[in-house]
Amino acid sequence: MQSVARSRARRAGSRGPQIRGSSLSEVINPFVLYAGIALGAVGVLLALPRKRINPQVLGALIGAVALGVVLVGLGVRAGASDALPNIYFYVFSAIALGSCLRVITHQRPVYAALYFILAILASSGLYLILSAEFMAFALIIIYAGAILITYLFVIMLATEAPSEEELDRLADYDAVAREPMVATGVGFVLLAVLTTMLFSGASQLPAPESFASTASGDAVLRDLPGAVEKALRRAGLMEDGEAIARDADGRPRIDPVQRVAWVGLIGEDPASGEPVVVNVRQVSWPDDLHANNVQALAYDFLNRHPGTIEIAGVILLMAMLGAVVLSRRQVELDEEAKARQARHLHVEEPA
Amino acid sequence: MHNLAGPLSQVASSADVGVPAQGPAWASLIVFLPLLACALCGVCAIVPAMRRTKLPAWITVALLGVSFVLTVLLYQDVSAGEHAKTVLVTSWEWFHLSWGDAPGQQFVASFGFYIDSLTVLWMLFVTGLATLIALYASEYMSHDVGLGYCRFFAAFSLFVFSMACLVMGDNLLLLYLGWEGVGLCSYLLIGYFYNEAGAVAAAKKAFIMNRIGDLGLALGIMLTFWHFGTIQYAELFPLVAPYVEALKAGDIGQIPLVVQAIPLLLMVGAFGKSAQLPLYVWLPDAMWGPTPVSALIHAATMVTAGVYLIARTYPLFAVSELALPIVAWVGTLTALLSATIAMAQFDIKRIMAYSTVSQLGYMFAGLGFLTSTGAAFHVFTHAFFKASLFLCCGAVMHGFAGQLDLRRLSGVSFMKGWGIVGIAMLIGCLNLAGFPLTAGFFSKDMILAEAFVTPGPGYALAGWILLVTAGLTAYYTFRVFFRVFVGPQHAEPGDEVHAHDGHDAHFHPHAPGWAINSVLAILAVASILAAGTYFIEKEQHGWVGKMVHGSTAAEIVVGEGEHAVRAAAFRHDLVGEHAIHGESHEPAGDHATPEEAGGSSIAHGSFLGMDPHAVMYYVSSLFGIAGILTAAYLHGPRGLFGLFIGSRTEAATSRADALVPALGPLVQWARHKWYVDELYDFLIVKPLWVLSHIFHLIDQLLIDGLVDLMGRLPSIGGRSIRPSQSGVLHGYAVGMASGLAFLLLLVWLLTL
Amino acid sequence: MTGVIDQIGGMLAQAGYPAPMSVLTLSHYLFVSAAMFTLGMVGFLTRRNLIIMFLCTEMMFQAAGIALIAASRFWLNHTGQSFVIFVLTVAAAEAAMALALVVLLFRKRESLSAEEWAEMKG
Repeated sequence: MQSVARSRARRAGSRGPQIRGSSLSEVINPFVLYAGIALGAVGVLLALPRKRINPQVLGALIGAVALGVVLVGLGVRAGASDALPNIYFYVFSAIALGSCLRVITHQRPVYAALYFILAILASSGLYLILSAEFMAFALIIIYAGAILITYLFVIMLATEAPSEEELDRLADYDAVAREPMVATGVGFVLLAVLTTMLFSGASQLPAPESFASTASGDAVLRDLPGAVEKALRRAGLMEDGEAIARDADGRPRIDPVQRVAWVGLIGEDPASGEPVVVNVRQVSWPDDLHANNVQALAYDFLNRHPGTIEIAGVILLMAMLGAVVLSRRQVELDEEAKARQARHLHVEEPA
Repeated sequence: MHNLAGPLSQVASSADVGVPAQGPAWASLIVFLPLLACALCGVCAIVPAMRRTKLPAWITVALLGVSFVLTVLLYQDVSAGEHAKTVLVTSWEWFHLSWGDAPGQQFVASFGFYIDSLTVLWMLFVTGLATLIALYASEYMSHDVGLGYCRFFAAFSLFVFSMACLVMGDNLLLLYLGWEGVGLCSYLLIGYFYNEAGAVAAAKKAFIMNRIGDLGLALGIMLTFWHFGTIQYAELFPLVAPYVEALKAGDIGQIPLVVQAIPLLLMVGAFGKSAQLPLYVWLPDAMWGPTPVSALIHAATMVTAGVYLIARTYPLFAVSELALPIVAWVGTLTALLSATIAMAQFDIKRIMAYSTVSQLGYMFAGLGFLTSTGAAFHVFTHAFFKASLFLCCGAVMHGFAGQLDLRRLSGVSFMKGWGIVGIAMLIGCLNLAGFPLTAGFFSKDMILAEAFVTPGPGYALAGWILLVTAGLTAYYTFRVFFRVFVGPQHAEPGDEVHAHDGHDAHFHPHAPGWAINSVLAILAVASILAAGTYFIEKEQHGWVGKMVHGSTAAEIVVGEGEHAVRAAAFRHDLVGEHAIHGESHEPAGDHATPEEAGGSSIAHGSFLGMDPHAVMYYVSSLFGIAGILTAAYLHGPRGLFGLFIGSRTEAATSRADALVPALGPLVQWARHKWYVDELYDFLIVKPLWVLSHIFHLIDQLLIDGLVDLMGRLPSIGGRSIRPSQSGVLHGYAVGMASGLAFLLLLVWLLTL
Repeated sequence: MTGVIDQIGGMLAQAGYPAPMSVLTLSHYLFVSAAMFTLGMVGFLTRRNLIIMFLCTEMMFQAAGIALIAASRFWLNHTGQSFVIFVLTVAAAEAAMALALVVLLFRKRESLSAEEWAEMKG
C-alpha cells in the first residue's frame, strides 16, 4: 500500500514541488520539535490560573517562545524547499494560539469566551489563506456570531449574582486550575505523539491528483454550463442566439481539461421540431474563467454528501428537542396544590 | 452311591449353558411384599390411630408370611425336575447405559432376579426366620408401641426387602443395592435406641466397618465389569466358564491376573459384612440393637451375606490361586479368636455375638476348604439354632429387665413359665456345641472333615485349630447354659427396671408370652429338623447339598466318576497331573459318603492316618462332649439332683475362678477381647484423628486461606482502584486523553 | 495594511485553487491544528467551570476544522470544506445541548463547577 502511494508520489513529483522523505526528520528536527513541545508544556503550566503566585505572563512568554521554536524548526526545512507558508499564516496562527491559551487561562468566563471569538477570527484568517473563503466567513457568522453569543448569554445567565461587598469575587472553580501538572503532561504527551505521527505521515503523503482533472476545482464547470456561457458572453466569445452544444446524452460539451467549449447557433431539428444547436464551433475559455470557491464547495457539498446532510438535519432537530426538554423548568405540583389551583379556576370561571 | 460325581460334573458344567428360562412373574412379590410392609409401617406412623396399636407388627408378619409361602412355592417350582433349574424373573430394566456397540460397551443392570436352588435355599430361611422373628418382636417390642414400634418394623421390613434384593438379584449391582440396604437397616436397627450413646456409637461402628468392606465389593464389581463387560450373572458365568475349563485342564497360566484379583476384592466385602478378621469388631457391638434384630440380622441372615456372595461367585473364587486359601485361613483364625473371647465374657448376648463370629469363621473356612455345601449347610443350621439362642437370650433380657450378666442369673429354666425357653436354649446350645446327631453337629463336621481332606496351604493345621475351636465352642456355650438356665433360681434385675416397669420400683420378672414361646418352640423344632435334612438326599450330602449342587456355588469337579476331584486354582499341580494322567488313581472320596470313602490317596489328606470322612464324626463328638463336660465341671451343678435345684453358685464359681489365676493374664486378655479394639484405636483411629486434625489445620489455613484470598482479592483490587472512579469528570477525561495518547503511540510504533 | 487587504483580495480573486501546496507547508497548518487541539484538551482537563470546559471542546472542534481545511487545500478537494460544515453543525448541536444542560445543572446546584456533579448514583 505504502509502496503504491510512494510510487504515485514520485509520478506526481514531476509536477509541483518535490515531495520526498519518509520520516519526521525531513519535516522538522525531532529534537527541536520535542524541545519546543516541552517548552510549550512549561509555558502552559505556568500560565494556568493559580491562587497566589500566578506567573501567567511568564507562561505566555514561554509559550510564545515555544511556538516560535517549533515554527522556526518547521521553517528551516520548508525554507530549504521553498515551501514556506504565507507570512499571514504566522500572524493568524500566533493570534489563534495566543487567544486559545488565553481562553484556557483566563479566570473570567466572559473574557474566555471573547478570546475564543478572537481565536475563531484568526482561524477564519487561516481558512482564507487556505483558499476556503466561504468557510472563513461561514465560521465567523456561525461560530463567532451565533454559537459564541449563545455561550455569552449562558455565562451571563448562569452566574451567581455578585453581592455588594465583593463585586470582583471569582468563583473558586474559575480561579484555580485542577491538577494542571497531570493535565498538561497528558496533553503535551498527546501533542508530541500527534505531531510525530502527523509529520512522519505527512512526509509520506501522496501528491494530489492532477489539478485540472480533479472532480472539484474547474472540473465543476463542466456541470455548470450557465457560468461558462456567462463568462464566454462577457468575453465576447459567444454571440446572441448562440448556446453551448450538447452531446447525445444531453450533457453540455465543455472540456475543463483543455479549457474549451463547443458553441453554436440555436436551430430546430427538422425531424422532431425540437431546438438543437447547429453550426457547432470550438471556443477556448477566457483565462479568467475559473470556478469560484462557493461554486466548487456547493457542488461538492450537495452533490457528494446528500446523505450526510440528512443526518446533520436529524442531529440538529434532536439537539433542538433535547435543548427544549432539558431547559424546561418543571413545576411539580402536589395533589393539594393541584386541587387548590382547580378550585381557584373554578371560582374564577363564573366571573 | 459312588457315581454321584457324574451328575455333579454335569451340574457344574450346566453353569455354562446358555441363558436360563424365564421364571414365574409372581416371584418378584417375594421381594416387593416386604417393601410394601415397610411403606405400610410408614403409613401407620403417620396415622395416629394406627400408631397406638400393634398393627405394624401384624402387617409385617402377614406380608413376610406371604413372602415365605411364595418362596416355598418358588422352591417347588425350581426343584420340580430332576435337577434344580435356574430361572430369571425380570421386573424392569434398571440401568441401560450404552456407549458403543462392541461387547463391554453396554452397562446393563435390570431389576431382575436370578433364581436357582442356592437363591431359594437362602430365601427360604431368610423369609421364614424373618416371619418368625417379626412375630417374636411383636411381643418383644411391645414396650415401645408407638412411633418406635413403627420405626422398628419399617426398618425390619426394609431389611428383608434389601436381603431379598441381595440374594435374588440377577446382577452384582442389585446385589450391591441389597448389600448396602441391609447395611443401612443394620445401622438403623443397631441405633434403634438412639438415646443411648453406646447404641449410636455401635451403629456408627458397624456402618463404618461395613464401608471398608463395601469399598472392596464395589471395586470388585467394577473390575468384574471392566474385565467381563457384564455384571449379570446369566452372562457372567458363561464368561467365567472358559477359565474354569482352563482350570480343569490344569492350565493355570491362561487365567489372567485381573480375574484372580476380582475374588480378592469381593472377599473384602464379604469379610466386612460377615464380620471376619480384621473387620469383625462391629458385630459384638451390634448387640446394642433390639434382640430380634440381633437374631435376624446379626446372627441368621445379614451376616451370612458374605458367605452367600462367595458361594454365588464361587466359579470366580475357584479360579483364583489366592482367594480361597485366604478365605479359609481368615475363617479359621476368626473362629478361634472369637471363641476364645466368648469364653471370657459375662454378657450372654455378647457371648452369642462372638459365637456368631466364630461360626461365620467356620462357614468361611468351609468355603475355603472347597465345600460350599458344608458352608451353606452350616449357614442353614446356624440360622435356626443361633436365632433360637438369641431369642432365648432376648426372652431372658425381656423378662429380667435387661439383665444379661450370667453371674446374676441362675436356674431360669425352672422358673414358672420359662420351660419352653429353657428347652429351646438347651436345643440351641447342643446344636452350637456340636453335640452328636444335632444339625450343628453334621454341618460343622462336614467342614471339619474337608479341612483334612482338601489339600491346601496348611489346611490340616487349620482343621486342628477348628477342632479345638469346636471344643471351646462347646465349653462357652454350656457355660452360659449351666450358669443361667439351670441351678438354683436366682435373678437380679437389670438396669432397665424403671424403663420397663415404670409404675413401681419393684422388679417383677415376667415370663414370655405366647408369641415368644411359640416362636421359640418352632425354632427349636426347626433346629432339630434341620438335622434331618442331612439324611434326605444322602448322595448329595443332604438336602442342602442338593440345593447347592444345583447352583453356581457347586464345587468344580474335575474328572468323572471314580476319578472325580474338586478343583481350585491352588490345587493346580494336582489338577494338572490329573489332567495329564487321566487314569490317575484318585478315588472319588470327597463326594462319596465318609463311610464309603476308603484308602488313602494323594488327593486326600488324612486325619492321623485315617480317612477324615470316616472318623471325623467321632473326633468332633469327642471334642464337643469334652467341652460340655469341662463347662459342667467348672460351672455346672453337682450331680443330677443339683441340675435342678442344687446349690451351684458358690462351688462352681470357685472352681472356675480358681482356674483364672493359673492361666495368668490370658483370661484378662480374652475378657478384653484381646485388646483388638484398643489396637485398632491405636493403629487406625488415633493416627486418623491426628491426621484429620492436621488436615483440619491445613484446610483452615491453606485452603480456607486461599479461598478467602480469592474472595478478598477483588475487594482489595476494588479498594485500590476505587479512587480512580471519583465521579469527577476530569478524572475520566484524563484517562481518556492518556489512553488516546498511548493508543496513538502504539499505532505509530507499530507502523514505523 | 492596504497591502494585507490587497493580498487577501488577490487570494479571493483566485477563485479556484492555486498551485498545489507542499507537504512542508501543510505541516505548519497541521502543527497549529494539533497545538490548538492540545490547548483545548488541557483546558478541558484543568478548568472546572462547565461553560469553559464546553468552550474548550469547541476549541478542539476548531482545531479539527483547521486540519480539515488544510487537508482540503493540500488535496485540492472541497470535501474537507464540506466536512467543516458538518463539524460546525455538530458543534452547534453540541453547544445547544451543552448549554441547556449547563442551565439545568446550574438551576439545581447554583454552581458551574464540574466537581459538584461527582456522585456515581442517582
